[in-house]
Amino acid sequence: MENYLANLGVLICVYSILAITLNFIMGYAGIFSLAHAVFFGFGAYTGGFIALNYTSSMFVTLPAAMVVSAVLSLLLAIPTLRVRGEYFVAASLGLQILAVTLFTEWKGFTGGIGGLVGIPPVSLFGTEIFRPTSFVIVTIVALIVTIGIFHLLVHSNFGRSLRAIRDSESAAAAFGKNVPVIKTVSLAISAALAGMVGALYASYLAFINVESFMLDTSVLIMAMVIIGGTGTQLGPIVGAIVLLSLPSAITYLNFLPQSEIGAIQQIIYGAGMTLLMLFRPGGIVGSGGK
Amino acid sequence: MLALQLTLTGLQAGALYALTAVGFSLIFGSTRVFHFAHGATFALAAYLFYAVEAAGYGFVPGLLASFAGAIAFGLAIDWFIYRPIQRDEGSFFTVFVASFGIGIVVQNLIGIFFGRSFVTITSPLSRAREVLDGVYVAPLAGIAFVVALICLLALGFFLRTTFTGKGLRALSDDPELVRVFGLNPRYLSAAAFAIGSALVVPAAVFTSMSSGLNPAIGHHVMLISLAATIVGGIGSIPGTMIAAFIFGLAENLSLLWFEPQWSEAVVFAILFAAIIARPSGLMGKSAAR
Repeated sequence: MENYLANLGVLICVYSILAITLNFIMGYAGIFSLAHAVFFGFGAYTGGFIALNYTSSMFVTLPAAMVVSAVLSLLLAIPTLRVRGEYFVAASLGLQILAVTLFTEWKGFTGGIGGLVGIPPVSLFGTEIFRPTSFVIVTIVALIVTIGIFHLLVHSNFGRSLRAIRDSESAAAAFGKNVPVIKTVSLAISAALAGMVGALYASYLAFINVESFMLDTSVLIMAMVIIGGTGTQLGPIVGAIVLLSLPSAITYLNFLPQSEIGAIQQIIYGAGMTLLMLFRPGGIVGSGGK
Repeated sequence: MLALQLTLTGLQAGALYALTAVGFSLIFGSTRVFHFAHGATFALAAYLFYAVEAAGYGFVPGLLASFAGAIAFGLAIDWFIYRPIQRDEGSFFTVFVASFGIGIVVQNLIGIFFGRSFVTITSPLSRAREVLDGVYVAPLAGIAFVVALICLLALGFFLRTTFTGKGLRALSDDPELVRVFGLNPRYLSAAAFAIGSALVVPAAVFTSMSSGLNPAIGHHVMLISLAATIVGGIGSIPGTMIAAFIFGLAENLSLLWFEPQWSEAVVFAILFAAIIARPSGLMGKSAAR
């Protein structure tokens, strides 16, 4: 029971961090990415690869994962964020589909379709952290740090520029804000933290393969942000908790076909996204009505 | 010989891509709605055809069911989802998310009803014949290519000569002016959705008879349509068409050098290169808003 709760706690923290990082670019910078699972995945594979081949020290795996994901995000952002928002949606969808092929085929780095197996637990000053009850503390700390970073960012000068861009890009540009640079930097920060949590996730599960980093994951994270409340600080966490408890809630409803839990879950949040946009675009946490 | 074979397959693929992409481009260009559920329209049309045909009712009833389903779906989304959202000055974000949600629902409903594996309709026409030494073409490929060209030419004729067609082109240039001129933008937007959704039907039907269907096919269709619209230039139907043929040919000719699982990487590479080199598209006016 203790382990079950700790395991749920780890998952909620991991997905909350992913949702917070995506919310930062969606809700504050107005960038709609369908490739968040790619940054998560590159972080996970980088962390796992380093832990398997070199060292499992947290002070190596996490920064390395962050750098790899951030650099990748720059490659995507520099050409595409100069132009219209729709271009980024298209390019991120393309990157997500391409990344699934890459994760499946690049056997030397990702272990191919079989994935990376036996990733050693993360170590902190030489102590290995592998029990769910102790790992949950690590993820809670990571969550608090993430919340702290974004709280500071949103309330800084940088955050004000971001909101100005989201509300009116041309007005922000007219006030002398360098819109593409600000957007690119926010995407890099977001991707870096998604990569960090990827490395944690890899060491926690000890096994990762491409299935955790497909388009469905990107969509799930996006649904968490939207259903919780885009552009709010609490929304992504609420969204992560609600959507992660959906599968067990479906299990309790006996009249639903249990073999289709995954599909039913996706139908519920797909319909939820559409209905929220019609009646409450702010999400659960956001300001009500329209 | 292989190159010729792949060129022919590429032309067929390009013709089918052109139909779906032009449908999206027409809707997006004239109504400014980022209709991400266009991929869902494709999946729905294809599976309706598959269901009717597999139940033994034959080709024509399947085709009619597919047309009725696609047009009704497009019109219903415009009427019940996009219109209420736009009444409150819906942003790009709200429309995109609502559209995306519908796509997820349709994909999973199809998965529940038809299963998640590949399905395909076999017909004597889809059997390849040797037309030249070492070059195999199915009669279906030729039919698909001709039908697609006829549809695209008919669309061009419609947009250039009829009143509604001119209205649609005017709407994509300047919605305010259309309103001032006294045309009904609601009627025009419904027309765009009906025509755009109907255009995917031939593509969906030929795809179900050649390469087959799976519930997630909407994502691939959407990627191609989006990419072709951007590479061709937003608002330019001829540009979108040319870009769709480029994608069809590139995907197939890339098989000369790469393994098939990388064909989507080729699409991505072209899209990326085009965004860097020519952000306004092949025939677009301007990348500025």
